[in-house]
Amino acid sequence: MLAPLVPAAIGPEDEALRAEVRAFLAERLAGVPGARRARTWMGFDADFSRDLAARGWVGLTLPVEFGGGGRSPFARFVLIEELLAAGAPVAAHWIAERQSAPLLLRYGTEAQRRDIVPRICRGEAFFCIGMSEPNSGSDLASVRTRAERTATGWRLNGSKIWTTYGHKAHYMVALVRTSGGPDDRQAGLSQLLIDLKTPGVTARPIRDLAGDEHFSEVFFEDVDLPEDALIGQEGQGWSQVNAELAFERSGPERLYSSTVLIDEWMDFIRSRGGPTESEAELAGRMLARLATLRNMSLAVTGQLARGESPVVEASMVKDLGASFEQSIPALITDHLASVEGPVPGPLLATLDYLAGMSPTFSLRGGTREILRGIIARGLGLR
Amino acid sequence: MNDDLFLDSFRKLLDGLGADPWPELSASGFLDVLRPEAEGGAGLDLSGLFPLAFETGRRAAPPAIVQTLLARLVDPQAVACADAAPVLAAGGVPAETARALCGAADAAVMAGLIDSLQAMTLDHASTRRQFGREISKFQAIQHQIAVMAEEVMAARMAAETALMGAPLEVSGAATAVAKLRCGEAALVCSGVAHAVHGAIGVSAEHALHRYTGALHRLRLSHGGEAWWARRLGEWALSRRDDAATLARSL
Repeated sequence: MLAPLVPAAIGPEDEALRAEVRAFLAERLAGVPGARRARTWMGFDADFSRDLAARGWVGLTLPVEFGGGGRSPFARFVLIEELLAAGAPVAAHWIAERQSAPLLLRYGTEAQRRDIVPRICRGEAFFCIGMSEPNSGSDLASVRTRAERTATGWRLNGSKIWTTYGHKAHYMVALVRTSGGPDDRQAGLSQLLIDLKTPGVTARPIRDLAGDEHFSEVFFEDVDLPEDALIGQEGQGWSQVNAELAFERSGPERLYSSTVLIDEWMDFIRSRGGPTESEAELAGRMLARLATLRNMSLAVTGQLARGESPVVEASMVKDLGASFEQSIPALITDHLASVEGPVPGPLLATLDYLAGMSPTFSLRGGTREILRGIIARGLGLR
Repeated sequence: MNDDLFLDSFRKLLDGLGADPWPELSASGFLDVLRPEAEGGAGLDLSGLFPLAFETGRRAAPPAIVQTLLARLVDPQAVACADAAPVLAAGGVPAETARALCGAADAAVMAGLIDSLQAMTLDHASTRRQFGREISKFQAIQHQIAVMAEEVMAARMAAETALMGAPLEVSGAATAVAKLRCGEAALVCSGVAHAVHGAIGVSAEHALHRYTGALHRLRLSHGGEAWWARRLGEWALSRRDDAATLARSL
């Protein structure tokens, strides 16, 4: 049995950030159609990321001496939930800010920390994560991309696939084999920092089912990397990656992927006069789930703020949150199919996008099956 | 008395209850904890009620204990009250408030019952052997129990959030979330618990049905999922706020 989540509340100082973020977003996102906003952290807009950074909103919780805001995890919760609920295009800086900067601060060299982390906080250095390969998906221990030691550092050969914005990022943090073979599983894997401008790196975008190019295939052909491309310890890549995934899974970003659709749907219902019983019931069911998930996510943020490492709890909120986000397009489709009279085109466009892309919600950042395995382990079942 | 000792003595009281628990419960003083201190109560607010209701559920003790606690807000003599709503209404509490108070308390009892379903299921899965190993070693079982664990946490969070502040200021919207979410969790968790227990779980002598039966009856009391969902949705759609803003106020 796990200890129960302790309800947490956002203090007035962190809550005060909300009005400022809302005002900025109301201005920046005015007139952007719902279908565009529904892309949120699949939406890449470098100018938008730099404008956020200019306000101090990239790297909000990172130390001030590295260009961050030095704020609490609750301040970040407020910022993130406003960005995502509004459907801001945050993909450009998202991975760098959430995962790569904390990773470099923990394992990077002093030079990397001084050079790269402040650029992340200025919205000038964008990162991607090189994990999956053509024959390696959830089973990351089977990666075959390999780096051999050379006189001056490392020589890298292989490829990564399904890498989010690998063709637009400046850097990749890749999980690669540095010793042993596939039979050694987790042993012999390391994390490498790759400047994607290095000769021998090519990236090819892959079109997704919505027509976007949000992921890519990245090839490495005799790519020579310096000695300090190794992040942390040689052979410790597996445990470092797992620590990094815990950052990825603990934020409030697993609740809001479909809220743009809920908002457009609620506005449509309001525009038709009073709701029918079934419309009110559907709104209530969605809202009860969202509110409970948000309170759970806040409690996990409270654990982070106390310095705990809520790996299992974060996996539970992510799994439940992804199921919630995925259910929304299906529920709203069912309702709209029974409506007499025209449904607004923009609402249908948002619905179409999310109906197509929502299966990814339980794939990205750890599949549903991987998460349930982590939870089972946390419960002592394996 | 500090919180841990207070809760501990309540647990001991529940564990020792006999066939007619009411004289003992009345004598213990626990039935008066919501009443003002000046009138011999403990002046607890709803956040103080939550752990008592949760423990009542965890032990599958009669939910009437919690309803009696609520009824005593207006009737100091109330005993063995199966439903406090009409008592509260007769005592001048607005009907909507009375229903919300009773529904929120039901949700907390349900969260406790669900918590015990998980404990029983974990225990059974870890001891029952089939195909040469504990059934907890099968991924199909592990994933069902993982889903159950998520529902346990969600139910508790929803109920605990609804039980905050002064009793007569209970939030109808937060109660809607709690009763609805605990009802949904009750269905999922009862299903998993029975699936994992197999035939023994439906035998009269096994305790499981006392828990799943109590959950079924509480789903029926003070408004079910659809009833509360409609009220929550009417509230949400009568405002201009977006979903995130609405969720923040719950």
